[in-house]
Amino acid sequence: MSILVRYALARFASACLTLFCVALLVFAAIHAMPGSFEDVMVPQGTQAMRDVLAERLGLNKPILEQLGRWLSQVIQGNLGDSLVTQESVAAEYLRRLPATAEIAGLATVFALVVGVPFGIFSGLAGSRRLVSQFSRLGGGLAMSVPDFVVGAVLLYLFTRYSLWFTVGNWVPITENLIGNLRSALLPAFTLSLLGIGLIMATARHATIGVLGQDFITAALARGKSPAVIVRHHVLRNAGIPIITILAIYSGYLLGGTIIVENLFSVPGVGRYLITGVLNRDYPVVQAGVLLAAFFFIVLNMLADILYALLDPRIGRRRG
Amino acid sequence: MARARFIRLPFRGDVLSRAAVVAVIALLLAGLLAPVLPIGDPEAIGAGPRLNGPDGAFPLGTDNLGRPVLARIFEGILLTFILSTVAVLIASVVGAIVGMVAAYLHRTADEVISRFADVLFSFPPVLLGLLVTAILDPGIHSTIAAIVLITLPSMIRVVRAATLDVVGRDFVIIAEIAGASFGRRLFLHLLPNVAGVIAVQTAYSISLGMLIESALSFLGLGVQPPSASLGSLLREGAIYLDIAPWLVFGPGAFLAIAILSVNLLGDGLRSVVDPLEARPLH
Repeated sequence: MSILVRYALARFASACLTLFCVALLVFAAIHAMPGSFEDVMVPQGTQAMRDVLAERLGLNKPILEQLGRWLSQVIQGNLGDSLVTQESVAAEYLRRLPATAEIAGLATVFALVVGVPFGIFSGLAGSRRLVSQFSRLGGGLAMSVPDFVVGAVLLYLFTRYSLWFTVGNWVPITENLIGNLRSALLPAFTLSLLGIGLIMATARHATIGVLGQDFITAALARGKSPAVIVRHHVLRNAGIPIITILAIYSGYLLGGTIIVENLFSVPGVGRYLITGVLNRDYPVVQAGVLLAAFFFIVLNMLADILYALLDPRIGRRRG
Repeated sequence: MARARFIRLPFRGDVLSRAAVVAVIALLLAGLLAPVLPIGDPEAIGAGPRLNGPDGAFPLGTDNLGRPVLARIFEGILLTFILSTVAVLIASVVGAIVGMVAAYLHRTADEVISRFADVLFSFPPVLLGLLVTAILDPGIHSTIAAIVLITLPSMIRVVRAATLDVVGRDFVIIAEIAGASFGRRLFLHLLPNVAGVIAVQTAYSISLGMLIESALSFLGLGVQPPSASLGSLLREGAIYLDIAPWLVFGPGAFLAIAILSVNLLGDGLRSVVDPLEARPLH
């Protein structure tokens, strides 16, 4: 068995273990909470009503049995029913996924297209004072200005002066592509700002790090042109940290969509989750947190495996 | 001509970090001195006309109850700073001790602690905050709990990694042979060597904490009225975005400046602790 496959399998096993611990923690957290499901569903209910409900939801069973039942349901893709609408939580999340995936995907593309070239450029300029201070300020701004502040300013500008984009009127991509872009670009841009900052800082840092290496001095001594050095050495070596930061950024996206969807009225996953929290609709919260952690863990695992592919030293060192 | 220097700022030669130090001090002073500044009473309902735009009497306008926005912002800055700092200090103390213990003891303790940090780390930040708020009732205590849980895993990881670089050094081994107690080795020998790293991570965590606090408050899950943080001011302001945009722009600008300054302060600390050599490509 190749070293790489062994590394990937080990990484997969570790991801499964982490996911299991996350599931335990989420289950424990929901059960540790004051007040019970019955209080939420039938706040004015009699004891008899509560008993019926507890029987139906299995709340009167021993805690370990409840845990086992819940875990086996989750593995089968059954995330329970909403306490408010009585509908399947999994189906509702799935129905809302495309809108969220679209704005998150667009945001990632923006972040890469803007962040990588600017980051490398500012890294190449190195310690030139003005450039480095400017890129620090720009990167710092992109990372510090909260998405809901940027979003609110954009929302104000574009509702006031309605330039091409539409605000608060989501058009699904299956309905009308142009209309969809008009409603999706602003939320996506808002989400991408942090990504631009993160990727720029990472690309800049990586570029400066690579330029300090001996093989760059050697390449310069061999008379290679800067363009060749950037293509062959800088881009290749900056790739790994950029993948790492993308995996971290994906975690931010999972939270950021909640805020942006709320602000721009995008009917996505995040809006469903926040409604769930406000209604104390625990199955929705439980499922949302679990799904987000699942995505985050899987993406981080893929990133790790991807480095091993890009940089053979990693698989070998650990394998 | 020699210029008298009354105050010496840190971060020599680093303009941005120096500006950040000044900004943080100014914001804190504004928050602390707000009650005696001539900007009005943040709780005085009907102090001015309702939803009045910025003018001479109220530099940043008034809100829907006629309260002066600037006074509310200064009050909010202080709460935002305090909440985040208190939470991050808790996370720093716990994270530093746990991280050092993990790196120093190896084996089982390290395995358990690292796995715990991994599990916490695998929750996307805002979602961990949502989970905490869903369990505890939304308010100041749940916000602090959320910030602690979100900033703790990275503190543990960073301190553990920095300690691993030190534990094998001769002076630690000699202290062990000389019979220094565990606490003495931890706090006298290891801590001073990782203190810089802890300081940098604390600064970054405070700016992250401010971001989390304001995001949760903006969603209505953090600070609850009548308390006001910058995030909850933004939430209230967003309702009147069309007719009174200053309710969002004012707190938004202050929040951005506050977070940016703390972040740049972290950068300045980092370049002191761990200088990165920059070399231009000629």
